[in-house]
Amino acid sequence: MDECGVATAGTRVESESGDARSGSVLVALVGPPNSGKSTLFNQLTGLRQKVANFPGVTVEKRLGHVRMSDGREVGLVDLPGVHGFAARSLDEKVAKDVLEGRAPDMPQPDAVLLVVDSTRLEPQLMLVEPVLELGLPTLLVLNMSDELEQRGGSVDADALAERLGVEVVRANARAGEGLDRVRAFLERVAAGQVAGTAEVAAVAAGAAGPEADATGARPTASSAAAMPAGDAAAASSAGSAAARTARPRRIELPVLETYVDRRGRIRGIARQARYTPPAPSWLTERLDAVFLHKVWGPLIFFVVVALVFQAIFAWAEPFMDGIETLVEVSGAWLGERLPDNWIRSLLIDGVWAGVGSVVVFLPQILILFLFIGILEDSGYMARAAVIADRMMYRVGLQGRAFLPLLSGYACAVPAIMAARTVEDERDRLATIFVVPFMTCSARLPVYTMLIAAFIPDRPVLGPFLGAQAATLLGLYLLGALAAVGTAFLLKRTLLRGESTTFMMELPPYRLPTLRSLAIRLLDRARIFLRRVGRVILTVTVVLWALTQFPRVDGAAPEVDDSALGRIGQVIEPVIEPLGFDWRIGVGIISSLAAREVIVGTLGTIYGIEEATETSTELRDRLRQDLDLGSGVALMVFFAFALQCISTIAVSRRETGGWKWPALQWAYMLTLAVIGAFVANRIL
Amino acid sequence: MIAVDNAAMTAATLDETDTVSTPGPDGQVLRLREVPLRRTVELVSIDLPTDTMVPLLERGIVPGCRMCPLRRSPSGDPILLVDGVVIALRREMAECLCVRDVAPDAD
Repeated sequence: MDECGVATAGTRVESESGDARSGSVLVALVGPPNSGKSTLFNQLTGLRQKVANFPGVTVEKRLGHVRMSDGREVGLVDLPGVHGFAARSLDEKVAKDVLEGRAPDMPQPDAVLLVVDSTRLEPQLMLVEPVLELGLPTLLVLNMSDELEQRGGSVDADALAERLGVEVVRANARAGEGLDRVRAFLERVAAGQVAGTAEVAAVAAGAAGPEADATGARPTASSAAAMPAGDAAAASSAGSAAARTARPRRIELPVLETYVDRRGRIRGIARQARYTPPAPSWLTERLDAVFLHKVWGPLIFFVVVALVFQAIFAWAEPFMDGIETLVEVSGAWLGERLPDNWIRSLLIDGVWAGVGSVVVFLPQILILFLFIGILEDSGYMARAAVIADRMMYRVGLQGRAFLPLLSGYACAVPAIMAARTVEDERDRLATIFVVPFMTCSARLPVYTMLIAAFIPDRPVLGPFLGAQAATLLGLYLLGALAAVGTAFLLKRTLLRGESTTFMMELPPYRLPTLRSLAIRLLDRARIFLRRVGRVILTVTVVLWALTQFPRVDGAAPEVDDSALGRIGQVIEPVIEPLGFDWRIGVGIISSLAAREVIVGTLGTIYGIEEATETSTELRDRLRQDLDLGSGVALMVFFAFALQCISTIAVSRRETGGWKWPALQWAYMLTLAVIGAFVANRIL
Repeated sequence: MIAVDNAAMTAATLDETDTVSTPGPDGQVLRLREVPLRRTVELVSIDLPTDTMVPLLERGIVPGCRMCPLRRSPSGDPILLVDGVVIALRREMAECLCVRDVAPDAD
């Protein structure tokens, strides 16, 4: 390690993902949320970036490359927005691990870009001390400097730089101002010309500065004041029993004092930098008076939500139909050019249809994330979360969960992806877990088919409500109740955590930029197609194979004789108490691919041509095979069960592993079986 | 001013939670919800276990900082202005914040 604190090539660890090549430079972007950090990241990397999950968790990392003037590439990692490294939240823990070189798949960064919103400078500078304590070469970027000036504020960047001992740059990432100076910093880092902050930190942080190692090595928690608050908190909570008996509350003191002292020092630093805070944003004041108004607020909220919902429900449809038609037509075209054997069936009915069933989700995902992007970037999302929070809190979640939950009524796949707007890891997981209970649009064909077959068309509330509509409503209610109940249960058991600390920062209203929206959409599409699509495709092909083998005289077998049919017969004794026979069993297994598939499958089993959920033939056949109890049991089964491989695949991607989706699937299946059993018994 | 507060804090934080109600020179200590809108107050103490407090502390919401309730959300939760940042809190949280009046121009 040379004195500049930049690791020489020999000390670098080859990363498994290959993103930080041996000998290459990695710079981390750190900063509070809403500081424009990601905008800066986008400006520097352009499209040369990708998003990935940190293994095993719902936190995402964004990696990119910046090309230097000599052709070298500097790696950039955009860390989650944090306010500190106390490691209380998963985001903070992840950021801390990366910065201290403890992330499993990433080397320690060679330098840090600390990005703050200069219109809210003092609170955001609370991060400065923890970051400087890392001892890495640091560049402080005062973002949104245009807004600062516009609103009558000012800051002396040079005085600030002198006081802190690091380079300070004023920037407006949205417009690309200040970018050249950031790039220049990166060039110098790549060339190993920037000093670590260790030597200067002692000077900068003043009296309570950390005792830095003269060699420029990263100072570990060496002095009392530098004892990271996280360690104190961890010590006090983890070892609290022991600590309490040995040295009672003394351990708690430094935490509060650390922050109070730090805040005082920041105040002094801001004064020395002649920081003038900007006047409150007039526009934000006026808009909040309306958007957070006691009456208008919720009204506007409902309109916005209805709009988003309508968009993913209705506007996406023509695109989805278009994709389905395209897949069919191109499949048929391809089919004509291939000899008629099982390979052709595999390619067309298996793989190509599988690809189609993946791509068909894109319109909904893109539309939902377009709206999310607009709502988030403009700042309205925070206000909506405040309005929704009280309701969400009652069911054990928090404000931001409203959008994923509502989107679940259209389709769980984009909804689960949208759950990443929920900031707290536990709330995020709980949201992802319960979203599939929301009655998605794929359940409707199944409900339609079954209600038509088993529920008489009788009035229940006079002309206002008939038995069939009442049943549908009941099923919707069942899903919602299951969601609420499960969320409640989760927050009390597996995902226990205090929610009183929920607080929402309301950033000033800003205009979203097309560029950031476009990058966001591209990210989501790429993630979905690559990570989720793979799983969906695999399962679709496997299910296809189950219907195609064993071959009978070189042709596909009848359903009864296919592997799928055999499996159905095997599980029949198990599902009999629920009122189902082997045909329903086959339907259930095949609908694992997608719920509405059961309609087509049953049609095939009963030998009905072109069966849809409204075909009377299918209805009559169902009535023959099952009674009311079984019919309702099947409805309840579909209300609860996770009959959707796409949902499972998305859940896996968003939670960073198979553990949660497996638990989710098992839990929902159990509930479905119990529910179906009870329904069958009662009726 | 802050040094005095720290002394008071140090003496008083030997409790289970950091509960302090030290009457200050400018007036009595109030709970945040008792403060009328648009009135600037100073945070005196936070009535929460240390662990739960940290997210507040990290954002610079520490005893001694200035707060100003701007409005209430439609469901009655307070929305505050702290150091130029607009923050919405749950009212359960606001219950835990003890503040006192300050002269509006004292800085």
